[in-house]
Amino acid sequence: MKNPQRINWLLLGVLLAFPAIVYFHLTVGQIHISFNDLCNSIFAYNSENTAELLAREFRFPRLMMACVAGAGLSLAGMLMQTLFNNPLAGPYVLGINSGASLMVAVCLLTGIQFFGTNLGLISASLIGAFAAGMLMMSVTSFLKSQVSLLLVGLMFGSFTSAIVSFLEVSSKAEQLKSFTLWSMGSLQNVLLEQIPLILTFFAVGIILSALIVKPLNLLVIGENAASLLGIKIKQTRIVILFITALLTGLITAFCGPIAFVGLAVPNITRIVLKTQNHLTLISGNLLFGSTFLVLCDILIQIIENSIQLPINVLTSLIGAPFVIFILIRQLK
Amino acid sequence: MIHFENVEIGYKKPLIKVENLTLELGVIYALVGRNGSGKSTLLRSINGQISLLKGDLKINHFSIKTLNTKEKSRTVAFVESKFDGVPFLTVENYLALGRAPYTNPLGRLNTSDWEVVKRVANEIGIANFLKKETVSLSDGERQLCAIARAIVQETNIILLDEPSAFLDYANKQLLIDKLIQIAEEKQKCILFSTHDLDLCIENKIEFLTLSNNSLTKTSCQSKKDLIAILEGKI
Repeated sequence: MKNPQRINWLLLGVLLAFPAIVYFHLTVGQIHISFNDLCNSIFAYNSENTAELLAREFRFPRLMMACVAGAGLSLAGMLMQTLFNNPLAGPYVLGINSGASLMVAVCLLTGIQFFGTNLGLISASLIGAFAAGMLMMSVTSFLKSQVSLLLVGLMFGSFTSAIVSFLEVSSKAEQLKSFTLWSMGSLQNVLLEQIPLILTFFAVGIILSALIVKPLNLLVIGENAASLLGIKIKQTRIVILFITALLTGLITAFCGPIAFVGLAVPNITRIVLKTQNHLTLISGNLLFGSTFLVLCDILIQIIENSIQLPINVLTSLIGAPFVIFILIRQLK
Repeated sequence: MIHFENVEIGYKKPLIKVENLTLELGVIYALVGRNGSGKSTLLRSINGQISLLKGDLKINHFSIKTLNTKEKSRTVAFVESKFDGVPFLTVENYLALGRAPYTNPLGRLNTSDWEVVKRVANEIGIANFLKKETVSLSDGERQLCAIARAIVQETNIILLDEPSAFLDYANKQLLIDKLIQIAEEKQKCILFSTHDLDLCIENKIEFLTLSNNSLTKTSCQSKKDLIAILEGKI
């Protein structure tokens, strides 16, 4: 599709501001880290120096996770919105997060492990996300109305949280504590060694999305019309489901359920960039998504001394009113 | 060209039987029949969304059963009765989607693809609002865009499901004029379902009537006779 030149200015502006935001994120916090320490932590690492240790083992992984989580959830949200032709769709609203959370709860609260500790949590989360995605996909074949799909997603969310509550009541104190901490959502649980694995999964998601730009562009005029223009709908659906479950499952495993990013950012991106070209939308979502979450995390770091605010609380505080705004715009 | 050979059409139960019928290129046909007579079912069987229960349907001498999704998209274009528009999708980019059967897996249009889009926009008379968003147009303008999108697809056959249903009188006449012009100038076979009998009679369009579960060509030019046929009295 043709790209009017003007839309890329905003993308460019945020792109230019991004390094500054990243730098701010790395240095601000309870302990201020200087530019020198940052450089040293990468190029001349000395684990005796507290600032360098802090930067390398905590700040960088946290920044990476913020970027991946923001970008990944936004991308997943965009894919779901295009697939379901519904601006209110997203991994959280449609219960993909709930599926992942349920499986993580089963893992952490009952002590049933899949494949050892670390990988076990990720695979449990991925399985949950895939299962929830499949469920939503089969529901859409019966339901034509957009609102009923969202209601089913909401009900599924309540249903899984009921099961989770039941598990919580019957679990040991130690397990309950680790699950509660996880469920509040945090970008700080990731270790430096895990970053390569996360980036690999993330890259797979982005590459696959870039490969289905053409089907995505056609899906905006409806599945029927797209299939009559030569798009294989079933294949496309499966790929979209796969990417969404992969990204959501991965991020949920490491950060806990992060609400509303996947719903709000794709909408903002579309409104700001004013396009339905999914190549532009993908890059927009990646950039705006990571910027949004990094900014949220900077805010958390700044007020860390007085209040410990979980990331999930902050995104909900910003996201929930935004959903209402979109709903009003839609139903008007 | 569309050729029916002892075809039975319907969802599970046969709804329409067509023994032997050929629709020619360069001709425009109005598909008429009462509500529930199977007009949409027939159109969706020709575009391949519903598979045939019996018999064979040949499109440009190829059996529809042997055509894959891509080949179908290069031979048959379909226009739904209403296109509601998509926010932020410009008319230009909407028409560009019609080139999808010809573009590479990344969906990029080359210069000649864009030329097709521009040429068709000029022919249909929508070149003025190529840069406008599809949601900002009137119903009539949007219907013209949908037809332009189908022509951009460069297929021999164009099917339209009640294209005039949501249009006012002037726009209905404009639509018919355009369709007649396209069928004749570009030698396409155009089949559209409609309830606007008067309009079709005035414009001397050939009828395909659906009644008593069968499809027949009728060149009948009187509304009274036509209604009698549709009611199943003849």
